[in-house]
Amino acid sequence: MKNALKKTTYLSISMVAVVVGLMMALQFRTTSNIDQAVPLDRVQELTIEKKQVERDLNQLKEESVDLKFKLEEAGKSHTAATDALESELLKNKLYGGLVPVEGQGVEVLLDNRPDSSFYNIKDDDLLKVLNDLRGAGAEAIAINGQRILSTSEVRLAGSHINVNLTRLSSPYKVVAIGPSATLKSSLELRGGLKEYLNDLGVSVTVQSEDRVLVPAYTGPLRFDYAKPTQR
Amino acid sequence: MWLGLWLAVISLAVGVVMGLNLPLVLPQAYAKYMSVAALAALDSVFGGIRAAMEDNFDNTIFITGFFSNTLLAAGLAFFGERLGMDLYLAAVVAFGVRLFQNLAIIRRHLLKK
Repeated sequence: MKNALKKTTYLSISMVAVVVGLMMALQFRTTSNIDQAVPLDRVQELTIEKKQVERDLNQLKEESVDLKFKLEEAGKSHTAATDALESELLKNKLYGGLVPVEGQGVEVLLDNRPDSSFYNIKDDDLLKVLNDLRGAGAEAIAINGQRILSTSEVRLAGSHINVNLTRLSSPYKVVAIGPSATLKSSLELRGGLKEYLNDLGVSVTVQSEDRVLVPAYTGPLRFDYAKPTQR
Repeated sequence: MWLGLWLAVISLAVGVVMGLNLPLVLPQAYAKYMSVAALAALDSVFGGIRAAMEDNFDNTIFITGFFSNTLLAAGLAFFGERLGMDLYLAAVVAFGVRLFQNLAIIRRHLLKK
């Protein structure tokens, strides 16, 4: 009886000892893990922080939507401004002669008459034609494909005529856009330019067209001396 | 008596080795309960040793006391956590005081011999 009791006692003692050892070892391991693992307080702290951050995030999202909306609005007005600028630019290019244009107008062909070979068309003749056309309301003029700008020269250079620093030779084809009837009649006036040039020995053919094309100026634009000023 | 002591020491070593090699890691949240439970278990063990020295060691009381103390301490800590109180401190204090009392009595018994 006593022996049996002793046996169970030993058994219970060893069992308890095993359990205690197990618990202590586990606890030891857990506490030594604390340095590496995240402490519980820290977890709670971070959870609170996370909630806060999430709230902030939601707020910022709302704000972002709002700002996007505003940005779109601003973009709309921006595109309107851009459109205005672009149309202004196009207008200025049109005025400056940097875009090809078409419309009704006249084609004037100037050539030396074969029977009077001693006369060569001079720059003066061309300039007179240009002047007449301009006076009759021509909006865009080109001579042999050279667009006449405000800075374009028409200059005699030997037997050629330089326009936009390009050598042109006869026959000269002057294309002008404007009221075609007026243009034509202003050249063919009695005692007008056509008659005068014919007398000089230049054949002038004026043809009114429904649709003529005046090319754009393609050369360089230099404004080295003229600077914009407010005065 | 000495056989029991050796058995206890060997079993303790076995338990420690087991605990150190077990692939399971206690979650951080339960470390608190485990610590109180371990303290209660230690208290029970020292109580048992004291009882053995006073020659009124009762196996049933020892076993039941060991497990009930352990579970009660852990449960108390858990309950305190739920209530928002550091109730495990009570267990720590109570078992700590008893631990030292038991140790003092054991020391006296050893010195009296």
